[in-house]
Amino acid sequence: MLFSIAWRNVVRARRRTIVTILLSSITTLFFIFYVGLKEGAYAKFKQDAVEFYPGYIQVTGPGYRDSADYDNLIRDLGPLTEALEKDERIALFAPRFEGFVLYASDTNAIGGMLTAIDPEKEPRLSRIHRSIRKGEYLTAKDTNGIVIGDRLAERLEVSLGATVSIIGSATDYSFAADNLVIKGIFHTGSNELDSAAALINKAYFDTVFASTGMATHVIVLPKEIGDSLPIAQSLQNELGPAYEVVDWHTYLSGLIESLEYDAISDGITMSLFLVVILFVIMIYALLTIYSRTKEIGIMRAIGTTPLQVFTILMLETAIIAGISIILGGIGGGWLIYHFETHPIVLAGMEEAYGQFGIIDAVIPSRFSFEIIFESMGIMLLLNLLTALYPVYRVNRFKPIDAIRHL
Amino acid sequence: MKYLLIFLLFFGTLVADDAEAIVKRMDDLMRGKTSYSKLTMTVVTKRTERKMGMEGWSEGSEKSFIKILYPKKDYGITFLKIDDAMWQYVPKIEKTIKIPPSMMLQSWMGSDFTNDDMVKESSIVEDYDKTILSQDKESWTIEMIPRPDAAVVWGKIVMKVSKAYEMPLEVDYYDEDDILERELFYKDFRKLKDRYYPFLWSMFPKNEEKMGNETRIEVEAMEFDIPVDGAMFTKRALKKYSR
Repeated sequence: MLFSIAWRNVVRARRRTIVTILLSSITTLFFIFYVGLKEGAYAKFKQDAVEFYPGYIQVTGPGYRDSADYDNLIRDLGPLTEALEKDERIALFAPRFEGFVLYASDTNAIGGMLTAIDPEKEPRLSRIHRSIRKGEYLTAKDTNGIVIGDRLAERLEVSLGATVSIIGSATDYSFAADNLVIKGIFHTGSNELDSAAALINKAYFDTVFASTGMATHVIVLPKEIGDSLPIAQSLQNELGPAYEVVDWHTYLSGLIESLEYDAISDGITMSLFLVVILFVIMIYALLTIYSRTKEIGIMRAIGTTPLQVFTILMLETAIIAGISIILGGIGGGWLIYHFETHPIVLAGMEEAYGQFGIIDAVIPSRFSFEIIFESMGIMLLLNLLTALYPVYRVNRFKPIDAIRHL
Repeated sequence: MKYLLIFLLFFGTLVADDAEAIVKRMDDLMRGKTSYSKLTMTVVTKRTERKMGMEGWSEGSEKSFIKILYPKKDYGITFLKIDDAMWQYVPKIEKTIKIPPSMMLQSWMGSDFTNDDMVKESSIVEDYDKTILSQDKESWTIEMIPRPDAAVVWGKIVMKVSKAYEMPLEVDYYDEDDILERELFYKDFRKLKDRYYPFLWSMFPKNEEKMGNETRIEVEAMEFDIPVDGAMFTKRALKKYSR
């Protein structure tokens, strides 16, 4: 009975209903888009930071993470390789050897990192190959060719094809020294890599550094990248104390912290956003419900109780809000789906994001039903909350005053 | 009262001067006008122990030259130090490389000595204010605090100097937070022509990462105030004497 009255009111006052639905559904749509975009951006930041160099899971010798010296190397890759190959959850893995060397050109000498990699597997484990600006990436046939960070090359005053000498310490602590030829120059945007790092084929590096069958760490790519943490933990249990297995949450804790910090300031922005929405809807609800004071006065005069009036008005609000959030949910869902597959491109922002290892400055949104339903729920609640006060006020008029109300 | 104050002031400077003089005298004796030495350096880490042989020439505190004799793989690597700068020649790549300032705190030849140790060894005389903390029959204990404008890596050095030999017995290196970073012991004093000299040096790093490591220098031959060819201390010599 009350519902049918409410329904009739909604259908009869067509213009009021349409305006309210428009207002609420558009705010719902924007809200979903905002949340989807924010979550999409965070997910991308994390993915980029992980994939551009460090990888999802790293296996090292015990203690290497605290003290990166040769005492803590993985000395024999054999058993580890065997164990990782058997593991069904792992898509791919490859050893790396990060050597600290002195790079020297004819004019300059600079300390930096020389990372020995497997040129065939590395492109699937990290993205440095996508940042080659001049020359070419490494191949398995390469010997003393290196790809070098653009700023390191600049500081050494060398260019493509030039020779750079390195001296470092081999794993047997003898001197490792060689002349290397620049095969490619990369620019990742990460200052750490661009200004102090180069990559070399591990097969050749091993002959200079006496490191055949050894590694500073092994990069592991799980089949399900979302499961890197539990996989790392179970790998640690299986491999025992001879190895240390951690996933990116450990070695990118700085990024995670800064994202969490960002999430706090984002939370504040979002609460302000919600307060603004709350006020807009509330003012509108106040106006529409007050404009019906006379109607309500008449209803009261013919014997409708305040509770019945309250229920009718709230039902009306619920019906309109329900329609709005469904429309907004569909629209918002479409938006976040669209921008997940067609990310927003931030032209010219590469440098600013480069420090986080983000190579392409695009922001995709994240599509998930969780985001949509959660946002719809919040908006429904907001709509109902905003109606409470005006309904309460309008119900407090004496019927005689209400009828005379303009 | 006034006299007491004057006396205290006078006494204070006297003590500081004493410390200054002791360290200066010790440093002169350790170094000589010129020197030639042949050493074995043993680096002990958790996993391995390795030996390196080398010979060195020096002139005052400003110039020195070192050549690696073994292991065979490293034969002929030479180092030249002039004032605060250091160059290295590696025969395998036929290249002379100036060690950049950013690498000065890196380990020298994988030992517990740093490049900076090789270069800045003279600076205890010039860069630190010294006071005698205590003394007994055998030794003085001298505290050295870097002067405000000195570019040094240590926050404090405490040195025990033997009264009999006028040579260091023990040196403790502290960082800026007053935490002991490493200890250096001098032992096996032998009589040379005009002085005693420690034939065994042992360095023990005290930081967590390197705890348990040791770098030992055994002196095989040591001569002071012999004629040294000035051409030794030029960049050209790096390659020439490498063979």
